[in-house]
Amino acid sequence: MKLWGQMLWALLSGPGRKGGTRGWAFSSCPPHSPLAGLVSATELVSHWTAVFEERGIPEARESSEYIVAHVLGAKTFQSLRPALRTQPLTSQQLQCVQELSSRRLQRMPVQYILGEWDFQGLNLKMAPPVFIPRPETEELVDWVLEEEAQRPCAAGTQDGPLILEVGCGSGAIALSLLSQLPQQSQVIAVDKEEAAICLTRENAQRLQLQDRIRIVPLDVTLERWWTHLLPWGPMDLVVSNPPYVFHQDMEQLAPEICSYEDPVALDGGKEGMDVIIHILALAPQLLKGSGSVFLEVEPRHPGLVGSWLRSQPDLHLDLVAVRRDFCGRPRFLHIRRSGPQCGCPVGT
Amino acid sequence: MRARILWEAARCLRSRGALVPARRSLSSGSPPLEELFARGGPLRAFLERHAKSEVQLQARGPELAVVAKLLSEKELELRETEHLLHDENEDLRKLAENEITLCQKEITQLKHQIILLLVPSEETDENDLILEVTAGVGGQEAMLFTSEIFEMYQQYAAFKRWHFEPLEYFPSEIGGLRHASASIGGAEAYKHMKFEGGVHRVQRVPKTERQGRIHTSTTTVAILPQPAEIHLVINPKDLRIDTKRASGAGGQHVNTTDSAVRIVHLPTGVVSECQQERSQLKNREMAMKKLRAKLYSMHLEAAASKRYNARKIQIGTKGRSEKIRTYNFPQNRVTDHRINKSLHDLVTFMQGEYLLDELVQSLKEYADYESLVEVISKKV
Repeated sequence: MKLWGQMLWALLSGPGRKGGTRGWAFSSCPPHSPLAGLVSATELVSHWTAVFEERGIPEARESSEYIVAHVLGAKTFQSLRPALRTQPLTSQQLQCVQELSSRRLQRMPVQYILGEWDFQGLNLKMAPPVFIPRPETEELVDWVLEEEAQRPCAAGTQDGPLILEVGCGSGAIALSLLSQLPQQSQVIAVDKEEAAICLTRENAQRLQLQDRIRIVPLDVTLERWWTHLLPWGPMDLVVSNPPYVFHQDMEQLAPEICSYEDPVALDGGKEGMDVIIHILALAPQLLKGSGSVFLEVEPRHPGLVGSWLRSQPDLHLDLVAVRRDFCGRPRFLHIRRSGPQCGCPVGT
Repeated sequence: MRARILWEAARCLRSRGALVPARRSLSSGSPPLEELFARGGPLRAFLERHAKSEVQLQARGPELAVVAKLLSEKELELRETEHLLHDENEDLRKLAENEITLCQKEITQLKHQIILLLVPSEETDENDLILEVTAGVGGQEAMLFTSEIFEMYQQYAAFKRWHFEPLEYFPSEIGGLRHASASIGGAEAYKHMKFEGGVHRVQRVPKTERQGRIHTSTTTVAILPQPAEIHLVINPKDLRIDTKRASGAGGQHVNTTDSAVRIVHLPTGVVSECQQERSQLKNREMAMKKLRAKLYSMHLEAAASKRYNARKIQIGTKGRSEKIRTYNFPQNRVTDHRINKSLHDLVTFMQGEYLLDELVQSLKEYADYESLVEVISKKV
């Protein structure tokens, strides 16, 4: 094993190789790998794990496993068919692994390298710089689904809920809700970034959900933004994973995040509340009488949001529940409209 | 009734024909089950007692009485018809032969029905299950064999049209398997698979062996029934869920791809892990599934250990430590030690298709036999 590792290392990363040709994106790659038909997936994972570790790349083993599994057509190394683990890779496969791994050496997030990731059982396309959904957000979706299941059928209508998602990014929240809610449910997904709008649209089409989602380029921090949403009528729910990182924390984010992901999707301003406040201030204009807002926030926010809401009694919004994520951090907020349908301009 | 008419007809035509050797009564039931039905045997006595209402069976009592009555009628009919085989009239003999074949077929069916009525079905028979394989003694060779066994069950699931979902897979360096588990679901999956739990032994010259010596290695198979929601309630407070995101700020602040999940059930110390999926949520669901199966089988074993102590075919922990089967490659033979049955053509057997199914059926029948003996020997 050790010998193999050394040979691999020498062949893949040693000096004195010919310059790359034949469609190679990286000049450090050999034009034709002499290892084709000799190296197994398991050995390749060990090799790249060692390389990543040496270069200080985080999640060295996980990264190399995901890359090798992806090239062999599996989602995780664990789920790779046993026979494929020991079978030698073809030269094309080796080249592919080489190319993807070299991107990882540049600290590109694995999700962008693979160009896809899974969320709530859905396979979504991922493309820089659109925000990569985090595992915590799967729990936000779970919570919304739980509450929806418990809600008695909306009075007078047989329809599923009408949901507004603010800051849809890749479309993860909107599409996973639609895929699990009744057929009549609809989502209006807004984002101010063109890249996010395009990616959500592409993912909706991949999942055949394009008929139940309206994707609208919209900046919720602009004045009277909500007027654009009036044609669709009042919403049952507003869901959002808004940018909530405190501005001063932005510097401390890992290179994977700050060099590749759009900071607009992360930076929530001084107290991480900028977009949260915009959403809450206008929620009463958009929500039905008993509508709710579900937000993912950071652990300091439940207190901050609670006291802000108390300072804005005219909004008639109550923080009714805070839920912790799987690591025990207060992460999700359920805010409900309590007061009269004040000044709602929407004719219903 | 047909037999009666035949009998009457025969009486008219009867003369002193040569004796035809009595036909051996045929049956397609397995030998031990057939023995139970022997005249004057314990099952007969049981059915008679039942008919006289000395034995009360719940629920299925009346149905059993009806079938038992049908059986004795058919058997009488068979005996009467059998006399006609000695008749000198060839047409009549032919007629009788046909009649007997029909009778025997019906008798076999009735016996089968009685067995089904008497053998108590287990609460878990219809359940899905978790299959676990773990390499035992024998180092790399044991791990190679373990991967072959895991594949065999994967193919068996496909053969039975069951759903097979690997939950974890820990390979060894040379393509073997240290440990793996899978969720299997489908019609009567547990009912078939429950006899596979135990120590499987392999005897062969390992690929890794240079001097051509035969090694003996083992792999341990566990079959855990998957509990229904209502059969097992776990308090979320009893669980500790470990993930790689536990340290640091989480949420938008970090982007990790390690989605492995480890769940510890604190009161029992039972641990369940999964890193099969990219989604942490999915991994948690799968780990939870496995944890539930583990806790449920612990619960079932506690309840059943007394009941099954005397049986040759063990299910659960007690069975898990027992050597149940040997795969002997030099002799191209697989032997199940519980029922002393050997099958040849090991390669076909390990393809997990009809040969494995045949052995599973034999085990099922033997298990039925054992529980039948238990039922009929119970004191009134």
